[in-house]
Amino acid sequence: MAVITVDKLCKRYESMTAPAVKDVDFIVADREFMVLLGPSGCGKSTVLRMIAGLEPITSGTVSIDGRVVNQVPAKARDIAMVFQSYALYPHMTVFDNLAFGLRRRDVGRTEIDRRVHAAAVKLGLAELLKRKPHALSGGQRQRVALGRAIVRDPKVFLFDEPLSNLDAALRVTTRNELIKQQHEIGTTSIYVTHDQVEAMTMGDRICIMNQGEVVQIGRPLEVYRNPTDTFVARFLGNPPMNLLKGRLDAKDGVAVAHFAGSVIVLPKRAASSLVRYVGRDVIIGIRPEDLYETAPPGGPVPIARSPARVVAVEPLGAETLLVVALDVSSDELIARIGRDTALRNGDRFDIAIDTTAIHLFDPATTKAIV
Amino acid sequence: MATQMRLGFAQLRRLPLVLFVVLYSVVSGGPFLWVATMSLRTTAEIFKNPYGVPSPVHWEKFADAWTKSNYSTYFWNSATVVVVAVALVTVIGSMAAHCLARYRFRGNRFVRFLILSGLVLPPQLLILALFQILLDLDLYNTLTGLVIVYVATHIAMTVYILEGFFAQIPQDLFDAARMDGYSDFEIFWRVTMPIGAPAIFTTVTLNFIILWNEFLFAVVLLTDDAKRTLPLGIMHFTGSHQLDVGMVATGLMIAILPIILIYAFFSEAMIKGMTAGAVR
Ligand SMILES: Nc1ncnc2c1ncn2[C@@H]1O[C@H](COP(=O)(O)OP(=O)(O)OP(=O)(O)O)[C@@H](O)[C@H]1O
Ligand SMILES: [Mg+2]
Repeated sequence: MAVITVDKLCKRYESMTAPAVKDVDFIVADREFMVLLGPSGCGKSTVLRMIAGLEPITSGTVSIDGRVVNQVPAKARDIAMVFQSYALYPHMTVFDNLAFGLRRRDVGRTEIDRRVHAAAVKLGLAELLKRKPHALSGGQRQRVALGRAIVRDPKVFLFDEPLSNLDAALRVTTRNELIKQQHEIGTTSIYVTHDQVEAMTMGDRICIMNQGEVVQIGRPLEVYRNPTDTFVARFLGNPPMNLLKGRLDAKDGVAVAHFAGSVIVLPKRAASSLVRYVGRDVIIGIRPEDLYETAPPGGPVPIARSPARVVAVEPLGAETLLVVALDVSSDELIARIGRDTALRNGDRFDIAIDTTAIHLFDPATTKAIV
Repeated sequence: MATQMRLGFAQLRRLPLVLFVVLYSVVSGGPFLWVATMSLRTTAEIFKNPYGVPSPVHWEKFADAWTKSNYSTYFWNSATVVVVAVALVTVIGSMAAHCLARYRFRGNRFVRFLILSGLVLPPQLLILALFQILLDLDLYNTLTGLVIVYVATHIAMTVYILEGFFAQIPQDLFDAARMDGYSDFEIFWRVTMPIGAPAIFTTVTLNFIILWNEFLFAVVLLTDDAKRTLPLGIMHFTGSHQLDVGMVATGLMIAILPIILIYAFFSEAMIKGMTAGAVR
């Protein structure tokens, strides 16, 4: 049972002029798995370390279950953390690494034994208890690091990019294992990553950060579908959302967008809701999967077409990425299309755009227009 | 055919290195072996033929050196002073190194500068001042005084070696231990010390060897014959009576023994420490 409340959290390192973390607010509900996602250097680890009590807080508060813990030392916060480097003690066996945290917490010897063995069995480490960390594979070390957090049975788990040192295949299996563990144990968790796949698949909610500030918080698909600004739009999704210059107008009370040389009626959007932007420049966002070689099968989708030339073809196996240049502008778009396309470099075709999937952004503030 | 030629060439290229190693061994090991043979021969035998092989082997000379002079006193004086000084310098030095490497506190740089400036001070420069200070503190001509001087003069090198090593221990280990509920002192004791063990062995070995052979401070700060340490004792041997070369050689062999022992004991760990950085 733990709710973490972070309120107006700021961090300014002595050596730096700009704050590393600025007015970060979020609440992690009991048993929730919250992912902090953002590019390298955006302050994710700093936020995590302030919650852990490893880094002094410049201003703002961190509360656990409504109690402000700013002044509570790390060891008294009942939080366990998994580090990116695993931070296993090289001079101790796996058993001692797992037991180290319990020995300071008035846990009896037999109870320590029981907990360590239980965790070891759960994580498949039972055979390795007598080994030292240097004799373990990367994946095994990662599991020891995880086990060390689990045996403590803390109120809160913090993870700082725990999978980033694993190879791709191991990362996927460990990710799934971790999700399973989390569902079983249900401890409130904050998980830092800069890998959007991890964020999308693991998080109950994601909190996206940029340059020390929170940009958007929400359920993964919600954030993916309704990015709050162009940063989130491009950060989530691989390849990122295409952004084009366009212009908004009203025609017969319906919003229309001028871009890519054509006039596109924006379905479901009345001009009245966009009245502030009528007659002004906007940024048009369109995800690669909403672009088609031919109109998508199954049901009428409002489609706009624009003549284009193929600049590059990248077959990925399950699908193919096309880089196309629109004829009317110099814009290049990335499209995600079926794997059996016959298009080759230099081919021309009319690219199809699903107009219901278009996002609009204000070019001045980069915020989404809703 | 071609590989054979290349092999031959590679060996040829190694020849200067092999020669150098052989030469170095002869230059450094030769005198040692010579003294070793002399330690088992009487002075009369040595004067007859300085480079002879010991026959008969006079093992009893070792017992004589120990019993028929003040040698055992010198030896125990040295052992006491060096063991206590090395223990103190190791504990104090590693604590200082841990703090300098781990904590960002006000005056951090100044303290480091102050300690490490001890590296560049030649002992001859300190000796007069130390003499006066020890006199004032009633520590002149005492083993305690010598221990304090040894600790003070060897802190700099110890901190220098240890700090470099401790700074390479990943910060995450300390953070993890903090989250696991350990206090700063326990973290020093249970994380820094064991992980830094190779570096600590290095400083223990170096300090031991240097202090065991230390002459200058000992000769100035100790006057009482009963308080002398080994390096003084051996000199004393040669000076006041006639030159008993055979006995001096035996004395030297006894003096070297602890160094050989400690080196054999710690050398592997020491090499690990010197080639270190291999914490991860
Ligand atoms: N101890 C420190 N002293 C000064 N500046 C720091 C310190 N630690 C971090 N910073 C700065 O604070 C900013 C945020 O760092 P932080 O480690 O929180 O980023 P991050 O989001 O975790 O990045 P990454 O994904 O690369 O781990 C960076 O600009 C970094 O340079
Ligand atoms: Mg980080």
